[in-house]
Amino acid sequence: MADALRETPNREDLPRVGSAGVIENGRYMPPPADMDGKTWVRTTALVQASPLDCYELWRNYNAVPLWQEQIKEVRITGPKISHWVWDVDGKTTEWDEELMQDEPGKRIAWRTIQGDAYNAGEVIFDEAPGGRGTLITYLQEFGEGKAKTAIDTVRNRNPKQSVIENLRHFKAFMETGEIPRTQGQPHGPRGMSGNLKAELYGEHIKTPPGLKRAS
Amino acid sequence: MKAVCWMGKSKIETLNVPDPALLNPHDAILKITKTAICGSDLHLFDGFIPTMEQGDILGHEFMGIVEEVGRDVTNLKRGDRVVVPFTISCGNCLFCRKQLWSLCDNTNPNAHIAETLDGYTPSGLFGYSHMLGGYAGGQAQYVRVPFANVGPLKIESDLPDEKVLFLSDIFPTGYMAAENANIEEGDTVAVWGCGPVGLFAISSAFMLGAARVIAIDRFPERLELARKLGAITVDYSEEDVSVLTALKDLTGGIGPDCAIDAVGMEAHSNDLQYVYDKVKTALFMETDRPGVLRQAIIGVRKGGTLSIPGVYGGLLDKVPFGAAMNKGLTMKMGQTHMQKYMKPLLERIEKGQIDPTFLISHRITLDEAPEMYKIWRDKKDKVTKIVIDPWAEKKAA
Ligand SMILES: [Zn+2]
Ligand SMILES: [Zn+2]
Repeated sequence: MADALRETPNREDLPRVGSAGVIENGRYMPPPADMDGKTWVRTTALVQASPLDCYELWRNYNAVPLWQEQIKEVRITGPKISHWVWDVDGKTTEWDEELMQDEPGKRIAWRTIQGDAYNAGEVIFDEAPGGRGTLITYLQEFGEGKAKTAIDTVRNRNPKQSVIENLRHFKAFMETGEIPRTQGQPHGPRGMSGNLKAELYGEHIKTPPGLKRAS
Repeated sequence: MKAVCWMGKSKIETLNVPDPALLNPHDAILKITKTAICGSDLHLFDGFIPTMEQGDILGHEFMGIVEEVGRDVTNLKRGDRVVVPFTISCGNCLFCRKQLWSLCDNTNPNAHIAETLDGYTPSGLFGYSHMLGGYAGGQAQYVRVPFANVGPLKIESDLPDEKVLFLSDIFPTGYMAAENANIEEGDTVAVWGCGPVGLFAISSAFMLGAARVIAIDRFPERLELARKLGAITVDYSEEDVSVLTALKDLTGGIGPDCAIDAVGMEAHSNDLQYVYDKVKTALFMETDRPGVLRQAIIGVRKGGTLSIPGVYGGLLDKVPFGAAMNKGLTMKMGQTHMQKYMKPLLERIEKGQIDPTFLISHRITLDEAPEMYKIWRDKKDKVTKIVIDPWAEKKAA
């Protein structure tokens, strides 16, 4: 069959098995379905930067509050352990995470080992086809129980959406050195309808500060 | 500061609001010297664009003097005179790198809303709904300009504001509309709508080699401007005038090579489909009134190109796609890739090849803006283009 196509000047080799289960034996695989009290989200972004640069920003735990929504603080507490503080309207949720995989320029994986919320995730940095930067695949799983209660406190932002937004913030931060924002700009009186709409669109959720990291 | 605020459908007020501040490292604050009301602002006034919030500051066509810059703005300084494009672009995503500036990936803080409706988000826009960012607009005394390294065009010559103001939207938009129409030397181009964008599309079509332009509208003052630019005009509101017949009569039966829909979602016509769309949009079964689009698809010649600078917001009904397919049409559309056009068009203005001030019919103050929106919507007082001086005092009554 391969012989049938003789002229494919730009075709790149396909991975047999792709990142975070997106490709398997040449086939596209859908994201894992929610079941047994677990919720999954898989999201991707194309970033105009090298896989190593993307990896380094993601791996820099001190910088996480700059681009992840509602993360107040991440403290490194052991060789592979970090302590996370999530702040929703002054109500904090805390947990410890363990780094499971750490391959510079390629992959980071983690899981919660103790605390008030459970999540496990993996982020993969691949060279994009055609040399167009880095294709990031971000897979995250949320557990049930206390995490769910904590998640419910996030008004109008379900946890899947916040993962999607975090990757969007990461991409903007990586590509431009800032995260686009409109919070804090002037406007006339919003009234009831304006405030209701802002709430509905998720505009009350604080955009992370995204101040350029010292390079 | 004073600002023109959207307070609900058909409700616009000039109010005192706080001054803008720097929020991000690439922000600049501009003291606005001239701003304008755009035809597409009427879609907001009429409530056709979803996700406006009460209190939103309107306006996306403005210029001014740089007052303050954020710490990562390297190419502007206090005192620079600039025109700002209505689209906000980061300059570094895949789309900006491909010169698809109005499709920038990184400037819409509310990308998720646009993704839900359109699949992917276009760039953020000033003063044009929350699904396109919720950025405060420039019908005000000051404005915050994000990504100021990428957008603002410095004006170093002493050309008056009014000659360069329309580089913020309508001139580049009319020019890109003509470019998108794939005009070849000797072509006949039909332009629906002789508002500002239509008029700039007419002059741009000639610049790009059109032999003949047919301009379609119903307002005498606009048709007159179109004739001044060299177009043949068709007044569709006249008794016994059929646009489709006119297009055939003027092209020996083959139709115009290129069609430009510079009207968009709130089209008027004098036939039954207008009533049909009015009823359907009123019942929320359809969001746009695509009368011109239908007519342009049917009216353009076989193998022709349809260029759409007119704004559409949502779902369209009864679009004759079979005709588009069977006639082998090409369609090009979208918000303007401003940064690609602003500099070359400024050069044309500097060389005296075009004087965009021919369009201006009204010069007003911020306080007069709410009333002016009404006058323009109702097409009274021969409005062709309204320019606002945000620092002028209200005239004595
Ligand atoms: Zn405009
Ligand atoms: Zn961009």
